[in-house]
Amino acid sequence: MAKTVDQYFDDLRETRVWRSIFRSGSGSSTLHRSLAIQQNVFLHLFSTKVRTRMLSFSATWYLGTLTLGTFLILVATGIPLMLYYHPSVPQAYADTKDLQFVVSSGIFLRNLHRWSAHAMVFLVFAHMFKVFYRGAYRPPREFNWVIGIVLLLITLLLSYTGYLLPWDQLAYWAITVGSNIASAVPFMGSKIHFLLLGGNAVNANALLRFYVLHCMILPLTAIFFVAIHFWRIRKDGGLYSHSSEPATRRTESAAKEVR
Amino acid sequence: MKGKLKAFWSLLFGDSVRAFGVVSLVFLASLAIAPSKNYFSEWRHYQRGYLKMVRNRADAVTLQRHFQGGIQQIWLPEIGVVDRCESCHVGLKESSLANVSLQPYRNHPVIPHKLGEFGCTICHRGQGAATTVSEAHNSTLAWEQPVLPAKYVESSCGTCHRGPVPGTPRLNEGRRLLASYGCVNCHTIKLADGATMKPTDNPPSLSHIADKTSREWIYAWLKDPQAYATTATMPNFKLSDDDARDISAFLMANSTPISGDTLAISAKPSSDPTAGASLYGESFCASCHAVQNAAGNVVGGDVGPELTRVGSKVKPEWLQAWLRNPRIYNDGTPMPHYRFNDGQIATLSGFLLAKTDSDLLANVHLDPSTPQQVAHGKRLVSDYGCASCHEIAGIKKPDNFAPELSRIGSKPITQILFLAGMPHTLPDYIAGKIKQPRAFTTGLKMPQFTLTQTQIDDITTALLSLNDRANSLPPSMTVAAPSESNYQPAGQAGKLIHDMACMTCHRINGHGGDMAPDLSWEGSSVQRQWLTAFLKNPNTLRPALIRRMPKFNLTDSEVNQLSDYILAVYQSPTVDRDSMPLSGYPAGQVELGKQLFYGKYSCQACHIVDSNTDKGYIGPTLTQVGSRLTAAWIFQWLKDPQALRAGTIEPNRAMSDEDARAITAFLMSQKGGKQQEAAKK
Repeated sequence: MAKTVDQYFDDLRETRVWRSIFRSGSGSSTLHRSLAIQQNVFLHLFSTKVRTRMLSFSATWYLGTLTLGTFLILVATGIPLMLYYHPSVPQAYADTKDLQFVVSSGIFLRNLHRWSAHAMVFLVFAHMFKVFYRGAYRPPREFNWVIGIVLLLITLLLSYTGYLLPWDQLAYWAITVGSNIASAVPFMGSKIHFLLLGGNAVNANALLRFYVLHCMILPLTAIFFVAIHFWRIRKDGGLYSHSSEPATRRTESAAKEVR
Repeated sequence: MKGKLKAFWSLLFGDSVRAFGVVSLVFLASLAIAPSKNYFSEWRHYQRGYLKMVRNRADAVTLQRHFQGGIQQIWLPEIGVVDRCESCHVGLKESSLANVSLQPYRNHPVIPHKLGEFGCTICHRGQGAATTVSEAHNSTLAWEQPVLPAKYVESSCGTCHRGPVPGTPRLNEGRRLLASYGCVNCHTIKLADGATMKPTDNPPSLSHIADKTSREWIYAWLKDPQAYATTATMPNFKLSDDDARDISAFLMANSTPISGDTLAISAKPSSDPTAGASLYGESFCASCHAVQNAAGNVVGGDVGPELTRVGSKVKPEWLQAWLRNPRIYNDGTPMPHYRFNDGQIATLSGFLLAKTDSDLLANVHLDPSTPQQVAHGKRLVSDYGCASCHEIAGIKKPDNFAPELSRIGSKPITQILFLAGMPHTLPDYIAGKIKQPRAFTTGLKMPQFTLTQTQIDDITTALLSLNDRANSLPPSMTVAAPSESNYQPAGQAGKLIHDMACMTCHRINGHGGDMAPDLSWEGSSVQRQWLTAFLKNPNTLRPALIRRMPKFNLTDSEVNQLSDYILAVYQSPTVDRDSMPLSGYPAGQVELGKQLFYGKYSCQACHIVDSNTDKGYIGPTLTQVGSRLTAAWIFQWLKDPQALRAGTIEPNRAMSDEDARAITAFLMSQKGGKQQEAAKK
C-alpha cells in the first residue's frame, strides 16, 4: 500500500536532522502540537491553541496579519532598493531615476514598496478601528493597545522618513512642511526641528538622518514592538472574542438558566 | 447559466487546496508581468528596428560592427550628465546614415563638438536618464524640461559661450536685440560671468524735448511710434487718447531749454533737393541713418534714428543747431560733429525738412494743457517706467522696474500662468510673452514691441540661454565674451575724438563700434604723411565697400594734433614701427617679393597692386601701400595677421622670415606715384 503524503511528512519529522532542528518531534497529540509552537523561537510568540471560529474572516478581517504581510513585503523590497540607492544629495534623485529606467524590474520593486507602504498605513488604521469598536482594547489587553499605538507611530514615522528619500520636489517640500510643524512645539520646537533635520534646513544631513531612521532604527524598533505585540496576544488569552468575555458568559449562562 | 457559473467556481475554488493552487497561479502570473515589461522595453524595440533597417544596406557589416546592444549612456559626472539617448538613437555617430530620415535612426548633423563631449541633454534638454520615448522627450509630473524645439537649440550654445559664436546667428542676434531694443533697460539681466547686460539702444533724453519737437508729434509718436518710423525700437504702450495727451503735456511742461540748441540761422533752409541729396551722400549720413524709399524698403544704417519723416518731427531751428554741433543738445550722442559751414547747414536742413508726412499729424488737435493733465501725465510717466529708458528731469530712473530675467531659461513651469490654448512649455511662454505681453492678465505694463516672428524666436533663444546651468558651470567649460572696456582717450586729442564720435565706428582698446577698422595699433601701422592726408580728405581703401569715412572738415592744427596722438599712443607692443626702413630695399629682394606675391602666395586673388592686371577686391587695394603702411607692420602682418587683428580674414600662410621680408620689400616699393600719374593721363 502506497504511503500517503502525510506519512511521508511523518517520516521526515522522525529523521535526525529534523529532530535536531525542531525538538518537538512527530505526533499529533495535544502536547506535541503545543510543544511545536512553544519550542520554536518564531512560533512561541503565538498561542498554542486558537479557537477555530477566530480563524474565520469575519472575526478579525485578518487586518493584523495583513499588516504584518505588508511589513514583510516592505522589508523584502526595501533591502534590494537599498542596493541601488545612495543617501546623498547629488545621487539620490538620479538613483530613483535609475531604478525607474535601467534597473531590471526596478520600477516594480519601487512601486511594490510604495504601494505596500500606503497599504500598511491604511491597514494599521483599519486594524485599530476594528480593535477599538470590538472593544478588544479592554483589560487585560490595555497594555497591548498601548503597544499598538507605539506601532502606529512607528508606521507613520517610517512612512514620513521614506517620503524624503526620492529627493524630489514633493519629498523636499513635504519634509519642509512636516519639520516646520514639529518646530511649533512650545519651548523646544526649534530644538526638535534642528534635531530632526540635523540642521536648520532640509539638506544633506536631513537626507542621511532620514535614511538611517528609515532603514535601520525604525524597522528594528518596529520588529521589537511587533514581537512584544504578538507575544502579548498569547499572554492576554489569545485573540479577543466577544463570547469568551466573562460578562458575556455570565449573561449567556443566565439566559440558559431562565430557559 | 447560473449552474454553469457555480460549477466553474467550484472547479477553481471548490476546496482549500484548489483555491490555494489557483490563487498561487494567478499570483505567479501577475509577478511575471514585471520582468516581461522589462524585457519588451521600447529601447529594445528600437534597437531591433535598427538592426532590421541596416541589414539590407551596403554598409551593413560596418554598421553592425559598430552596433552595441543594451542601454547605452554618456556619463559625465562633473557636469551631471547621464544621457541614455543613444539607447534608441543608435545611429547618431554613423555619418553614412546621412540619407536616413526615419527617427530615431538619423545621424547627428556635424557640430564643432564631439558627440560624447557634453552628452545630449546639455544642448537638447529633455530627460537624459529616461529610457522611454515619452519620459525622455516630454515634460512629466516628475520632469519639467521637455526636449527643446530645434529652432531654439542655439540657446544651449549660449550657456557656455558667453560671447558671439560664428555658428549661432540666432543666439547672437537675440542677444543683440535684447540690448538694442532696450529690453535690459527695464529687465535686469545679470550674466553668468557677473556682468550685467548693457543696453545699446541709446534712448534720447526727454528733459529738453520742447526745444526739439512739437507736442503734436510727441502725441502721435506715443500713440504709434512705428507710424512715424517703421524701424523705431520704441514700443507701443497702447495708450488711450487722454493718456497720450497728458503725457505729452507733462513732457512739454517739464522740458527746460538749453542755450544754443536752437539757432535762427542767417541762411534759410535751402529747398534745393539735389544739392541736399549729394551732401547727404557725401557725408555718409546713410551709414548710420536709414530712409524708407519709394518701394517701402528701409535703406541705411541703424546707428541713428530713421529719417523718413524727420521733417514732421523736428523744429527747423533745432535741426540747424544740431547739424552745426550736436554736442550742445546731447554731449553723449554717437553723431559726429561735422563742422559744416552755414551754407552746408542750410542745404542739409532744407533737404531733411522736406522729408515730411502730412498724414502723421493731420488728425492731432490738442488744446492747451491744464495743470491736472500735466500732473496726470507725470503719474503716467512714473507708472509706465518711461524713465527706465529715457532721462526725464525730475523723475528718477526706477530700479528693477520689471522682473529680472537672469535665470528666465530655467523658470519652473509651475510658476507660469499660461494663456488658454498655449502649449505648456517654457519656450512657448517666453515667445508668447514677447509677442503679446499684455494678453496674460489685466494691468500688465509691458508695451507691445514691433518684432517679426524670427526676431521673437531669436530673443527667445537668447533668453533661454540664461539658465541655471549657465550659472553653475565650472569656469573651465565656459568661453568668455570679449571684454568691453570703457576706454576713453585723454587730452586735447581725446576731446577731438569725442567731438567727432570716432568711436561710434572705430574700436580702440576694447571699446567702440565695429563699422570701421580697429585703431588700437594704428600708430604702429601707418606712416604720418598718409595719415594726415587721410584725415583731411578720407578716401576709400577697399573698392568693395560702399561706406567710407566721412569728411569732417578738420583744420590743419586739429589734423596734426590727432596724427601726433595716434602715432604716439596707439602702438602695438609687438610691432616696432622704426625697426625696418620705409624704402631702400635691394632690387633683387623686391623682385623676389614680387614673384612670391604673384606666384607662391597668389596674393592678387584678393589684393590689387597693379590696377591694370590684378582683379582682387576682397582685401584693401595695395597700389599705394608703400606710402601708407610701415614696413615693420607689413612684415608682422604677413607673419601672423590674426595676432595683429583678431578675426581678420587674411589667411596665416606660415611664411618664412625671408619670404615675408621679400614681400615686405616688394610692397614698400608700391608708393603709388606712378599709377596715380598714369591714371591722370
